[in-house]
Amino acid sequence: MSAENGPTIITLQSNDNHIIGVERAVAERSMLIKNMLEDLGESALNQTVPIPNVTEPVLRKVIEWCEHHKNDPPSTNEDELDNRKKTTDIDEWDQKFMQVDQEMLFEIILASNYLDIKPLLDVGCKTVANMIKGKSPEEIRKTFNITNDFTPEEEEQIRRENEWAEDR
Amino acid sequence: MATYNRTPQPAALPKTSILSALRATSMIESKTALPAEVIVSILDYLSVPDLMRFARTSSRMREMVYDDTRWVARLKNMGLWNDLEAKRRFEEAVRRKRDAAVRTAANGGSVSSADKEGITTIFDAAIEEERRLAAATQPPRQPDATTDGFETLSLSQSQSKSPMEDPTALLNILKNVRSVRGHARQEFGKVYGALAPFYFDLAQAKTHTEPVVFKVFRDPEKQAQMLSNLQVFSKCDWTDGWSQRVEKLSSMVTIFEGAVLREFEQGYEFWDVDGRMRRYAHVLYSLNGGSAATDLFIQKHPIFNDREALGNPIDCISQASPDDITLEPSRAFFELLLRKLNEQSSNIRRIFPQPAAVFWAFVDKVREDIIMEYATPLLDVTHDRHTAVYLKAMSGLFEQCMQFVQSLESPGGSNLSVEDHTRAICLKVFEPHMDLYLQEELENFTSYAERQVTDWEQKLSEQDATVESFYMGSFNRQADKNDFLSSFKKVVMMPVSVLPSAFGSSKPTPTVTATNPAFRSSIAGTPASSRPQTPGLGNPSERSGSPLPPEVPTDELKAKAALMANRLEGIKSLFSIEVALDLVHAAKESLGRAAKFVQLGGQVGEEAREQCEAIFVALIKVLGQTHVKNGFGKAVNHLSRYNPREISDHSQTAVVPLVMFIELVNVGDIISQMIDVFYEQQLAAPKIADKNDFMDPAGLAKRKFEQMLDESVAAGLNKGIDVLMDEVEYLCATTQLPTDYNPPPSSSHGNGLSNGSDIGPTITARRITELVSSHTKMLTGSTEKTMLDVFNGEVGLRLFTALCKHLKRQRISTEGAVSLIADMTMYFEYIRTLKNQDLLVYFKALRELSQIYLIDARHAKEMATIIADSDRFGGVFRAEEVYEYAERRADWYQVKRDVERAMYGLECQIM
Repeated sequence: MSAENGPTIITLQSNDNHIIGVERAVAERSMLIKNMLEDLGESALNQTVPIPNVTEPVLRKVIEWCEHHKNDPPSTNEDELDNRKKTTDIDEWDQKFMQVDQEMLFEIILASNYLDIKPLLDVGCKTVANMIKGKSPEEIRKTFNITNDFTPEEEEQIRRENEWAEDR
Repeated sequence: MATYNRTPQPAALPKTSILSALRATSMIESKTALPAEVIVSILDYLSVPDLMRFARTSSRMREMVYDDTRWVARLKNMGLWNDLEAKRRFEEAVRRKRDAAVRTAANGGSVSSADKEGITTIFDAAIEEERRLAAATQPPRQPDATTDGFETLSLSQSQSKSPMEDPTALLNILKNVRSVRGHARQEFGKVYGALAPFYFDLAQAKTHTEPVVFKVFRDPEKQAQMLSNLQVFSKCDWTDGWSQRVEKLSSMVTIFEGAVLREFEQGYEFWDVDGRMRRYAHVLYSLNGGSAATDLFIQKHPIFNDREALGNPIDCISQASPDDITLEPSRAFFELLLRKLNEQSSNIRRIFPQPAAVFWAFVDKVREDIIMEYATPLLDVTHDRHTAVYLKAMSGLFEQCMQFVQSLESPGGSNLSVEDHTRAICLKVFEPHMDLYLQEELENFTSYAERQVTDWEQKLSEQDATVESFYMGSFNRQADKNDFLSSFKKVVMMPVSVLPSAFGSSKPTPTVTATNPAFRSSIAGTPASSRPQTPGLGNPSERSGSPLPPEVPTDELKAKAALMANRLEGIKSLFSIEVALDLVHAAKESLGRAAKFVQLGGQVGEEAREQCEAIFVALIKVLGQTHVKNGFGKAVNHLSRYNPREISDHSQTAVVPLVMFIELVNVGDIISQMIDVFYEQQLAAPKIADKNDFMDPAGLAKRKFEQMLDESVAAGLNKGIDVLMDEVEYLCATTQLPTDYNPPPSSSHGNGLSNGSDIGPTITARRITELVSSHTKMLTGSTEKTMLDVFNGEVGLRLFTALCKHLKRQRISTEGAVSLIADMTMYFEYIRTLKNQDLLVYFKALRELSQIYLIDARHAKEMATIIADSDRFGGVFRAEEVYEYAERRADWYQVKRDVERAMYGLECQIM
């Protein structure tokens, strides 16, 4: 590929028709875009890539993350459990990056899920997990907008079943 | 925004029934919804209590949390999940359920329960779900629980029991975890309930006295067990901050271990074997396998401090005569070491819960610090001094070391056999020396063999080679050879006692025998008996001799060799069986030494094996190419130079060079058989050389040797026949008196009756038969049968032509015909012993032929018919030939006319 004449710019189009130009290396943090570029070859480089599921502000946020992490080593997909263990802690920049309202957070998670940016998805999930930490079921429901379909007896039954897990 | 509503679900479902709620298994919201896979990965980051609270939010969330794989993963991380066990349990459960369903259906029992079982047999999670629901709706369903095929998991029991109430149950909590599909969460719950409080408490503790673990459990054994459990448990902790917790735990474990180790050490100082040492070794073992205690025990062991007391390697050299070595001191060294180690073995058994591992670690340390320190200087010094001594020391030490390790009284429970340990230890001790040793061994042998042969040749050339006495071959060759070979075999079978003196002198030491008979007998009792005899190799006589004590055959062999050499004096100038024997002996010793290393296996063993083959090849090369071949060359030379007319003394019934040559063939055969026996016993039987591998260098060399021998024999025999026939012709020419077949009429008349005994073969015939038969007999059994047949056939034919030629030179009277017939009968009888049908025809014809001389001159007509009757001579002689012989009649000119007339009379009449 012609990587000689400076960084190639990929143009992305959000679902609200905003055009954003991104360096190729940055865009390829998304496995979706990377695979697509590989499949289509050189000809695709000049075309605009539509990102139908993501709005402009979210896309910009995602690109911001990709810019910052463009030089990360590619994650090796070996032992998932080990991987998870190693990366439980979120680094400082990411923590700051994730200080957004919950809606934006969810949108970022969805976008990274759609664009297949695993590390970003992980960071998002960790952030959500931290939000859940220590909350009561009712609080969780509120946060995540979950409809309670249990009767109080059922809920009590589950609690009793898992009494062993409760903090003492 | 429209995009926020990705799940077009109704805003709310009526909370009427659980089942309808189950059907609507999706998150309902007005804002952004996260897809299930994202939620699953979020759940991965949650701690257990958070997970359980999350489960309570909705039935869909509960499904996700309760998903079995999530809990199996945790159990697996702790090493508590066994896929095989789970599979087995699952299959068993399915089978039992099916049976139960069939039974209940047959009994017409509770239809509802039967239906339920029937539907749910396939998917475990579904049963679990249903069962759980059922249990929730109608708790007291005891009969159903018994038939549902699951082990009744006493969930509520384990929950109700507070860990503080029954601390001992906590110790074994990890051992009781079962791998049941669909129940991983419950199993994990038991573990979590038991260990989590301790774990998190410990993680928050400030000092090592604070954690509850050390308060609940008072004795170090239980504390260790608990800490070890917590270490396992920490492996499934991957929520936020796990690294600090794990670190805290391991530092706590280190503190604990240090304290226990100090106790152990104090016990060690006071040698409190059954008390503190034993106790704290067990504590450390349950904590983390006890490697710290093992290390300490080995490091501080007093045996490594006074290693001087065990023996000085240089004694082996200084106590022996110069250029020699005695391994008595080294044997004593190993003996002492063995005793000490066996003492330790019992101590280790008393102290440690995993004695085998500790013991072998200890032995390995001993190997490194004591045995190698002993062996290496000894080998280095001997190598600098003398190669032969070095070789002896190397293999001697190796054997002692092997026996030493094998005699160790190891505590049971090791997953490796003693043989494996032996091999590993000996390999480590001797590996650094192996290459050098094997090379030296081969070089030593080759140079020795070559020196031996050249020495011998030199000695020979110094002697006056012309003075050659020879031996008459009248003894029973076959028997002698077999005798010799059988004793040779006995010696070969005998294992090489590298240092007979060293082990021999150990016998009278009473302490040795008393303390450890197994050790001594294993040295003296060589593996001779265990070595399989190759059946059918030699003659059966050797069987009876095998149980003899090993010393006897050596002497026996020596005596036999001397006897043999004495008898074979005649070929001393060509090659010597003594040299051959000597070489074979040297090869055997070298091989025996090197072969020991083969049992080490692996690359080193393979190298040793190759070197053994190389030694054998070197033996054959020196023996065959230089020694035997030269001998044959010389003998053939002698033969071709032989001219009977130059030899004045013909009184003996043998041609000297031929006899010599035949002896040579015999000896060559003995050597060949010796090599064969040697190959079978030393190489093939212990699997050093593969008999079936035709590319095997040893086998190749052996075949080449045999081939060379056969070729030499064939070439020599060719010459030999020439020489023999020369001698026969010479005898005919010189000893046959003209009167033999044509006695003067007067004497025959005058002595006719008194010389009645004279009727019989003439001296010439007798001498010739004796000569020929003595030579053919000599060869019997010494070469291949086919070659022998060819030789005999050739000899017979040549004899026949010689006799014919001879006959044509004689003049035979009717009286002389009697002796001629007697001669011919004698030849015939002799030829019959050769058992060669083709030859027999010739000699039969010759016998018939001789009868024409008997016919009286008056019966010329009958003579003519006989001459013309070619059937009579079996086609050997044509009428013309017979006519020619008839011309040799003394009275031929008198009968010629009659005979011719009778033969051609018809034609004359016509004319």
